[in-house]
Amino acid sequence: MKKYSLQLLFWFCLVALSGFIGKAQAQSVTVQGKITDTDNKPVQGVTVAEVDADGRTIKAGRTDVNGNFSLKIINKKHKLSFSHISFISSELSIDERTVFNQTLLSSSKDLQDVVVLSVRKADNGMVPISERNLTTAHAHINAKEMEEMQSASIDQALQGRLPGVDITAASGDPGTGMQIRIRGTSSINGATNPLIVVDGLPYETTIPSDFNFGTSDEVGYAQLLNIAPSDIRDISILKDAAATAVWGSRAANGVVVIITKRGGVSRPVLTYTVKGSLTKQPEALPMLNGDQYSTLIPEEYMNPAGTPLPQTTKEFQYDPNDPYWYHNYSNNTNWIEAITRVGYIQDHNISMTGGGEKARYFASVGYFNQKGTTIGTNLDRINTRINLDYIVSDKIKFRSDFSYSYTNNNRNFANNLRDIAYRKMPNMSIYEFDEYGNNSGNYFSPFANIQGSYNGLTSSGNVNGTVNPVAMANEATNNIISQRITPHFKLDYTIKKNILQATFDVQFDINNTKNKSFLPQTATGRLFTEPAVNRSYDGDIDVFNVTTKTNLVYTPEFKNPKHSLVSFLSLNTFDNKSTSHEVLTSNTASSILVDPSSPSRTQNSESKLQSNQYETRSIGLLLSAQYSFQDKYIFNAGIRGDGNSRFGADHRYGVFPSVSGRWRISGEKFLKNVKSIDDLSLRLSYGQSGNAPTRDYSYFSIYNALITGGAAATIGTPFSYLGQGGIYPSNPELKDLRWETIVGQNLGVDLSMFKRRVTVTLDFYKNKTKDLFYTGLQISSFTGFNTIDQNVGTMDNQGFELGLNTTPYKSKNWQVDLNFNVSSNQNIIREISPLYPSSKGDVTTNGQYATFLKVNNPFGAFYGYKFKGVYKDLASTIASDEKGKPIIGPNGQTVYMKFNYPSIGYTFQPGDAIYEDINHDGNINYQDVVYLGNSNPKYTGGFGSSVSYKGQLKLTAFFNFRYKNDVINGTKMNTTNMYGFDNQSTAVLRRWRKEGDVTDIPRALYRNGYNFLGSDRYVENASFIRFRTITLRYTAPKKIADKLKLKNISGYITGENLYTWTKYTGQDPEVSLRGSDPFRVAFDQSFTPPAKIFTIGISASF
Amino acid sequence: MFKKLTIKIALVLLLFSGVSCKKWLDLQPTDGITGASYWKTKEQVQASVTGCYASLLGSPNGSRSLAELLFLWGELRSDMLATTTFTVPEELDIMNVNILPTNSIVNWRSVYQTINYCNTVIDFAPQVLGNDQTFTQDALNKSIAEVKALRALMYFYLVRSFGDVPLKLKATASDKDVEQIPKTSKDSILLQIIQDLSEAESTAAITYGDRASDKGRITKYTINAIQAEVNLWVENYAGCISACNKIISSSQFGLIDGSVASTWFNTLYVNGNSNESIFEFQFDNQRQNTFYPLLGIVSRHLAANPLVLTDVFPTDFVNLPPMIDIRGDGASVRSTDNMIWKYSGLSNDNRTQRASTQYAAHWLVYRYADILLMKAEATNQLNNGQEAIDLVTQIRNRARAVAGNNTNPSPSDKNAVNDFILDERKREFAYEGKRWYDLLRNAKRNNYQNINLLLQMVLNTVPADRQQSAIAKFKDKNSHYLPIYFYELQTDKLLVQNPFYK
Repeated sequence: MKKYSLQLLFWFCLVALSGFIGKAQAQSVTVQGKITDTDNKPVQGVTVAEVDADGRTIKAGRTDVNGNFSLKIINKKHKLSFSHISFISSELSIDERTVFNQTLLSSSKDLQDVVVLSVRKADNGMVPISERNLTTAHAHINAKEMEEMQSASIDQALQGRLPGVDITAASGDPGTGMQIRIRGTSSINGATNPLIVVDGLPYETTIPSDFNFGTSDEVGYAQLLNIAPSDIRDISILKDAAATAVWGSRAANGVVVIITKRGGVSRPVLTYTVKGSLTKQPEALPMLNGDQYSTLIPEEYMNPAGTPLPQTTKEFQYDPNDPYWYHNYSNNTNWIEAITRVGYIQDHNISMTGGGEKARYFASVGYFNQKGTTIGTNLDRINTRINLDYIVSDKIKFRSDFSYSYTNNNRNFANNLRDIAYRKMPNMSIYEFDEYGNNSGNYFSPFANIQGSYNGLTSSGNVNGTVNPVAMANEATNNIISQRITPHFKLDYTIKKNILQATFDVQFDINNTKNKSFLPQTATGRLFTEPAVNRSYDGDIDVFNVTTKTNLVYTPEFKNPKHSLVSFLSLNTFDNKSTSHEVLTSNTASSILVDPSSPSRTQNSESKLQSNQYETRSIGLLLSAQYSFQDKYIFNAGIRGDGNSRFGADHRYGVFPSVSGRWRISGEKFLKNVKSIDDLSLRLSYGQSGNAPTRDYSYFSIYNALITGGAAATIGTPFSYLGQGGIYPSNPELKDLRWETIVGQNLGVDLSMFKRRVTVTLDFYKNKTKDLFYTGLQISSFTGFNTIDQNVGTMDNQGFELGLNTTPYKSKNWQVDLNFNVSSNQNIIREISPLYPSSKGDVTTNGQYATFLKVNNPFGAFYGYKFKGVYKDLASTIASDEKGKPIIGPNGQTVYMKFNYPSIGYTFQPGDAIYEDINHDGNINYQDVVYLGNSNPKYTGGFGSSVSYKGQLKLTAFFNFRYKNDVINGTKMNTTNMYGFDNQSTAVLRRWRKEGDVTDIPRALYRNGYNFLGSDRYVENASFIRFRTITLRYTAPKKIADKLKLKNISGYITGENLYTWTKYTGQDPEVSLRGSDPFRVAFDQSFTPPAKIFTIGISASF
Repeated sequence: MFKKLTIKIALVLLLFSGVSCKKWLDLQPTDGITGASYWKTKEQVQASVTGCYASLLGSPNGSRSLAELLFLWGELRSDMLATTTFTVPEELDIMNVNILPTNSIVNWRSVYQTINYCNTVIDFAPQVLGNDQTFTQDALNKSIAEVKALRALMYFYLVRSFGDVPLKLKATASDKDVEQIPKTSKDSILLQIIQDLSEAESTAAITYGDRASDKGRITKYTINAIQAEVNLWVENYAGCISACNKIISSSQFGLIDGSVASTWFNTLYVNGNSNESIFEFQFDNQRQNTFYPLLGIVSRHLAANPLVLTDVFPTDFVNLPPMIDIRGDGASVRSTDNMIWKYSGLSNDNRTQRASTQYAAHWLVYRYADILLMKAEATNQLNNGQEAIDLVTQIRNRARAVAGNNTNPSPSDKNAVNDFILDERKREFAYEGKRWYDLLRNAKRNNYQNINLLLQMVLNTVPADRQQSAIAKFKDKNSHYLPIYFYELQTDKLLVQNPFYK
């Protein structure tokens, strides 16, 4: 491919050169003259150039200190141009003239307040089309609107700003990614992230999923970080399928188009911005202290069978005669406080921009440093960007962009560290005491205690079991260093001015990531022989992408001005290669030897030595045209063919058409006279786009050697049978894997009134995903395989979005802006493979809710029992029928309430949770399960206001909200279940303890009973309004700036996440729906609300 | 110039989209061999056949090891095991006759995995004939005979454990082969097994040239051994005898001398591949069995039932010096801690245990003693009691069985002789995964004439509080088959849960 790209480049160059050569003729003449300004003073340093008809510079010289110049001209038919940064350029024809005494007009006016009234162009990354002529749904935000916010990446700042764009954070720790969903999730488990397009070319945001990042999806997304928010000029989001169809297969989940800043014609402007923030974890959920905990546990243990904690359990004995245990287990440790600190963020950015007629530049260097609120987490980032434009002639333009970023991110080894800290027994000490009560200074990490021990890691990087959280935060490391270099070259060739233009883009993207982690023995206390001890990991992944785009834009001129046409042909290619190497060893000799290269064990089930290579290629050819008649009827049609290497030969290519139109009603006669309406348009679109699978090579059937490792098919050593290697078919060939096709329909209305003081955008959409991908669909084991990837069904996403921007008050000094957006989305399965499971959740197990997949019903509904309080005494546990009369057994005996008789047959005891016996049969079982709620918010959105005075003082506030969604308060469940040795919240202090207690918290039962079955006890309405940000910005007036010899200066203070209005009793009502399967429900596991952030920033330009 | 350029660009674009595109998008994975380039040489056929065998040692995708599964299926429901504090609930449930479809021990995945590998060889190996001139029809037939017999053996385990099961005889090579199929009746499956075996018998190899391969791969005699047991199961006693006789008359096999117990134990169990063995799974130090965590470690899940040493291998108080059954202490069980010794023992005399890295004891599928006892069972059913007793006596003498458990049945008392044989099988094949199938085969004979065998057994194994319910369950003959794992019902809507578990 690269060969062809080069070839193409070569062609362009050749043609361009031939132009030069062909026109060079020897007609040597010398011209001279003097350049003065309007005050008749000579101007030094004016560039005097001979330019040809295409504006190409042939020869150039400069004026001396007296403003004189002389230049040997090659061709008299050329023109002479005079340019200087402070003056308006001029151009004169030469012909027979040899003396040029010119007066230049000062251009200082240009640099003063110029009110630009041009129409904003919307950019889909391909061909810019003015926003008022767009036929598709899109959202747009200017980065300036967000620049006060203290966010490491632009995605964080976008949260809640745009209708139909749902952005949620994975966690507040530095470096963790965000999840962006445009108009809901269009896939059950395929790729769901939108395509990011930076300066016209796709920007890869994923890394192969089998690399050892906990959840590579989210982390990979954090790569977006690598574009510094201050380098971004604006962001557009393409939402409907007709708009995304332009980008083809990788755009099925929407497109985020990012345009970075570029230089313009100006003298050099140096801008320095600095932001500093303090971040603070808000008050967390109150948990039991050591003393309260130590009274709860023996009671909890005793309750089920009446047997006290065994004498060997020294953790709760508080026996001063056993001093070692006494000192180590008689504390009131606040584990959360011990791993929390005040975080800070600093962000510096210097940029320089400027340029002349021919060359323009934008260069920036940024440094970002964040210390997380959890010990052991921080992020450092250095990034630079140079965007250069060079205008060779009117025909040829070059662009060369170069960006580099370096990120060094430290994370907690355990992704669930905060969770572990909440659960950790509070009577345990952080540091180990000896038997004399002296603090040894070593972390107290016992091999195991009553609460358990370290039990390994889950695939998502969570620690199973429990550890000393402080030791874990301080001693265990997890470091990710990534470097990314993205050179981007663009050649712009005007074949025929204003009519035919060709562009050629090529971008190389070198993205290297190194992940090192180490789990020392001191963090887990495990025995030295275990593979969990001194576990050392080192992984490298190198990704190399080559993206090209060749566009041919044809904009014919019509004699009749009523017609206009923009059409283009685009060829896109994408090649992604990644190689990874991973080493995981254990039992290095000491906790100081953290690298796997130290002598260590490699022969155990946890260790690995692995390397992988993947390559993906895709190609797309697009033909698109937008035709407009009388500026009223605009019609857009496109057809795109895609090819992707992830499909087998039968289904490798897909063709995806799109059509859309816009009717400018305000252009019709009957509305022409309504002066208040600037624009009223109706948009209608239909489009298809295809989605490729996330995995490479999946359509091959692979024959592999049998290996000893077991579970993961690529790890371990091959084993033999009778000394011979055995080969087995490791997966079936996926002949039938087809494109997942998203068919989108959109109906939109744009209204702009009172000279754009009121603008309204309303969109209704329906996206149908056909041939939904499902990775790892379970298949019958008689096939010999566990799972296959398949197209399983059809799903709809439908909803509406409304955006409203107004300027209700505007005077000379004051301006008030109000904006509001709201959206609603529903996910409905229309058709599903019979192999796909139809329900999830076992209602006979504590903590589980039932969810069902019902065709033609929206996702998100969950079912469970009705909680009615706590049985206060034995009499209250007698079963009763519909009329409230006690049920009598066949032998006249009293019948007590039972749970799931006969297979479980637990008899409810006083102090147990009461569940409503819906069918009055004295037996709580699946028949008593009822609808409890729905996790999907009815509406989500945000609103904000800004008030500015004289353009100097500006107060901006922004709120976001969700309305009508039910959340399962998992934190409440986990902190009040009193089921194990985990610490509990202070709510359990009012638990049922003796006959007659009336309370809402059941008795403590160690690993027994059914006190926290999925019931409405934990279901809460999580509607909320959050005061997301408030900013006060002061921009110094010109007078002051001049005094300071600055071009401009401004400063601001911002507060984020200041307050949340909600009835939700959990920590944070903004619970994202994890995962993308149809069974997902909002299950709140968070212990802390989002951190409060206070930022001060200054920006100055010289 | 404008036109020229347009043409040039058009040409370049054509180049892009046309010829190069197809090749450009055709990317090959760098690890593993793709299906398109496989099945070209005879070595590949050999490697695939080996793959079928190797899958007996361990599953490539983490399913339970087949040997462990066969041990659990054959022993958990019978009367030779006891729980420990580390017995997991799933094991306990089966021991207590409280089997649920959610119990992962009833997951038949490992068995079908091997079946699919066999099917793959059967479907694709013939195409090698055209690709590799050195691959002969005879070699192909031999390979197919091996995997067909292996597939038959796998189905035989399934049909005895589950009753009706889905019958899949085609390889799953692509997603187009993924289908939902209903269960096939156990009679049809047994017919298929018999047919496969007789087809395989005609072309199977007699020897592979070395002792280990003859024991570790399927020979004609292995096929005869399977035929013997299948015929016994379907109550075709003449067929059983004829199959047994083929093995006996071959003079390739014999009983290992039991006069020195330690030598006998070493030859038969520690080293494996003895003269007595017909087919055994060839575990080695590189690929070990999973019996260390299950039976060998301190926190082992399962131990021998204490009754085994007192009742099955009782001490002989009559003779002096006392006769000691060589199959008891030090062979089946280590008396000091009731550890199941057949897979853990490294020696019979000083009771040295294998280190955790030495758990490579082979899994015995058929050995000569089995042939003799199967023949005894069949001849007795054909009213030749004396011959049966003679065969049993041959086994008893080799093992120096104690007189105390010689019931001396009258040759004409068919039931007594049958009990005598069954008892001897219990001693001879302790913990070799056969006991439950022996019990069930005898219980179901002649339309469940001997169902009491199972009811009696339950009395010895199930705790008192669950005995009544266990007996009640065993009275329903449907309960003798395992439930279909719930997962299979989710993924195959045509499957119906086995009758007892609906």
